[in-house]
Amino acid sequence: MNFTADSKVLVQGIAEALGSLHVPIMRAYGTSIVAGVSAGYGGTTIEDIPVFDLVEQVLDITDHIDTTVIFAPPYEVLDAALEAMAAGIRQLILITEGVPPLDMVRLLREAEATETLVVGSSSPGVIVPDQILLGTHPPYCYTPGPVGLISRSGTLTYEVALELTRAGLGQSIAVGIGGDRIHGSSFQQWLQILEEDDRTEAIVLIGEIGGDSEEQAALYIAETIDKPVVAYIAGTTAPKEQTSSHAGAIIASQIAGLGAEIGTATSKLAAFKQAKVPVADRPSKIPKLVEQALAKSRTE
Amino acid sequence: MDLLEYQAKELFRQMGIPVLPSQRIDHPTDLKGLRIPFPVVLKSQVYTGARGKLGGIRFVENTIDAIAAAQAIFHLPIMGKYPKVLLAEAKYNPEREFYLAVTLDPSSRRPLLLGSQFGGIDVESSLKHMRQVVVDQEFSPFYARRLALKMGLQGNLMRSVSALVEKMYHLFAERDLDLVEINPLAVSSSGELMALDGKITVNDAALGRQPDLAALLATIPAQAGLPVSNLNWVAREGNIGVLCNGAGLTMATLDLLHKAKGKPASFVDLGADYRQCASTSDLQDRLKQGLDLLIQEKGVKVICINLVGGVVSCLQIAETIASWLKWQPANRQLPTLVVRLVGDQFPAGRGLLAAMDIPVYESMDDAIAETVGLTSATAAKPGKPPSLLLASA
Repeated sequence: MNFTADSKVLVQGIAEALGSLHVPIMRAYGTSIVAGVSAGYGGTTIEDIPVFDLVEQVLDITDHIDTTVIFAPPYEVLDAALEAMAAGIRQLILITEGVPPLDMVRLLREAEATETLVVGSSSPGVIVPDQILLGTHPPYCYTPGPVGLISRSGTLTYEVALELTRAGLGQSIAVGIGGDRIHGSSFQQWLQILEEDDRTEAIVLIGEIGGDSEEQAALYIAETIDKPVVAYIAGTTAPKEQTSSHAGAIIASQIAGLGAEIGTATSKLAAFKQAKVPVADRPSKIPKLVEQALAKSRTE
Repeated sequence: MDLLEYQAKELFRQMGIPVLPSQRIDHPTDLKGLRIPFPVVLKSQVYTGARGKLGGIRFVENTIDAIAAAQAIFHLPIMGKYPKVLLAEAKYNPEREFYLAVTLDPSSRRPLLLGSQFGGIDVESSLKHMRQVVVDQEFSPFYARRLALKMGLQGNLMRSVSALVEKMYHLFAERDLDLVEINPLAVSSSGELMALDGKITVNDAALGRQPDLAALLATIPAQAGLPVSNLNWVAREGNIGVLCNGAGLTMATLDLLHKAKGKPASFVDLGADYRQCASTSDLQDRLKQGLDLLIQEKGVKVICINLVGGVVSCLQIAETIASWLKWQPANRQLPTLVVRLVGDQFPAGRGLLAAMDIPVYESMDDAIAETVGLTSATAAKPGKPPSLLLASA
C-alpha cells in the first residue's frame, strides 16, 4: 500500500459526470492529480489537469503513476483497468457502480498476475486524512488519527467516520472495498495491510448482511490479526429474505464450510463473537468500543 | 433476476443443450392445438424450486385431462404467486438424475463449476456428493472434464457430461449470467442426456449490453409493475417512511428505527454517490421522486429523511424539500417530515427548513428518537379513523 500526499495520481474517465464532480474535491484536498484520461478529450485540460486519450501517453509527462482512480462508465471499466495495468500502474481504485461481475473476473485475473492492488468496484475509494483523497469520501467527515476504517458501504462509512471524528478519534485511512459481489480486494487483504500499517492502532470493520465477507473476515481476524478490531453490521433487523432456493448459491456457501445460515445477521454476529470482536449495535456506539479497545491494547 | 423455465430452456436450445420438445401455454384452450404427443407434463411457470411438491407439475394422458389440469395449475398459487404461463413438455423417464451448475464464487472471485451424480429435488440434502471446480484462468474444456471426473464419471458419460458443462459455461459467459443450473439432468439407460429443468439468473448490471435478455425479462408480466425509476423502493406494513442515500445507511437507519420500537413501512434508497448518472440535479430529482413514492403509502405518518455526504450541500437538499412541499396540493394530508443531514452548508439548510417547521438534526440518533416519538404519540392518541381522513381529503 502506498497512499501518501506525494503519490502521483491519474484519473481515468475524468470527463465523465462522476469524474468531473469529484476531481475538484480531490484536488482541493491536495491530491496530486498529474493527468486525466478520457477518449476524445486528448490535448484539452480539465480543472487545469492535462487530459490524454491513452494512458501510455501520460508517461511522456511523468516517469510513473502510483495510483489511478477510475470513473469510467460500467462497461468501460475493464478496458480502463487493463490499460492502466499494461502501463505499469499497480494501484487501481474503481469507483463506478454496476461493473458486470464477469468483467471483474477478467480484471482480477490480470491484477493477480501483475500483483496490482484493486479497490472496488462500486466503492467510495480511499482517503488518508490530511494526505490524499482517492474517490468520493466527503473530507469534512474525516480527521487524522489512529483508527483504520474498512467497509462495504459508502455513505455508512462517512457516517461512522463522522462519529469517530466527533468523538475525537481520527482515522489513519478509510477504504470502501465496494458494494458489488466481487471485490477487487477483500476485508482480509485490508485487515492484513492495516495490521502492518504503523499509523493504524485499531481497526473498525463496517459490514452488511448478505454474502460471506464478514464471516471470512472474522475467521481471519481470529487467526492472524493482533490489533484490536471493532465491527458494525448494517441490516441486523431486516426481515429474512424469502429463500429464492438458488441451489447453486446455497451449495457454494456450504462448500465454503460456513454453514447454511451464511449471510444472515445471526451468522455474522456469531462469527464475530467467536473471533472475540466487539460489535456495536449502532454507529454512535463505535467510538466508545474503539476507545475501550485502544485502552486495553495500550496497557497490554 | 431469474428467467422462467421456458425462457431458460429456449436459451439452452439455442446453445445446443438438449431439452425436450415443449410448447408454451398461455391459456388452457391452447392445449387443443398441442403439437407434442401425449403423455405430456404440464409445469407451472413460477420462480420457485418447490413447485413439484406443491402440485405445480401434472402428468396428463389426453386433451380433456390436460385442459382440466391446466385450469387447476393456473389457479394454484405457489408461494403466493400465480403462473401467467404453463409449459407443456414431453414426458421423459430418466434412469438417473444429475445436477450441474455454473455460478460465480465471490471468495475465489472466479466462475465455479458444480456437479453431482445425485440431482433432483433432494439435491440440497445430498450436498456431500457435490463436486466443484474453480475456473481460475481463461476457460478451456479441461475444466469441464475435471468436473466430470471429480463427479466419478468415466468413458462416454464423462465425455458427454463435460461437453454439456462446456456449453453451459459458454452460455454463462456470453450472456453475463449469475447462474446456469440444470437440475435434474436426466441420464437415460443408453447414456443420453436431457435437461429436464433449468434455471438461469441474469446479472442486472449486465442487462444494458444483453438486449435479448432485457427483452425477455420485459415480457414477464409479474415484473412489469415495478417502478421504472432507478430508486430502490420497498413497501412493508408500518407508519414510518424512510428515505436515505446508500444501501448500508438505509439498513442502519431501519435497524435503529426497529430497535427504538418504530415501525418502518416503506423505504427509498436514493443510491450511493458513485452511480454513473450521479449529478447534483439528478440527486435532487431522485429525492423528489422518492418523496412522491413514500406519500403514496397510506399508513405513513412520518417520513424520516437521512442523507449523508455526497456532493449536494445541505442547503441544496433543504431547497429541494422545500420546493417539493410547495408543489403539493394544499388540501393534501402530508406525513410529518423529520430530516437529518450531513454535509456542507448545514446551518443554512437547517435554517431554511426550520422556517417551515421542519426539524433538521445533526445526529442520526436524535432524528430516530424524534421520528419514533412522533409515531408512537399518534398511535397513543385515539385519533381520527382512517375513513374520516379519506372523507376530509
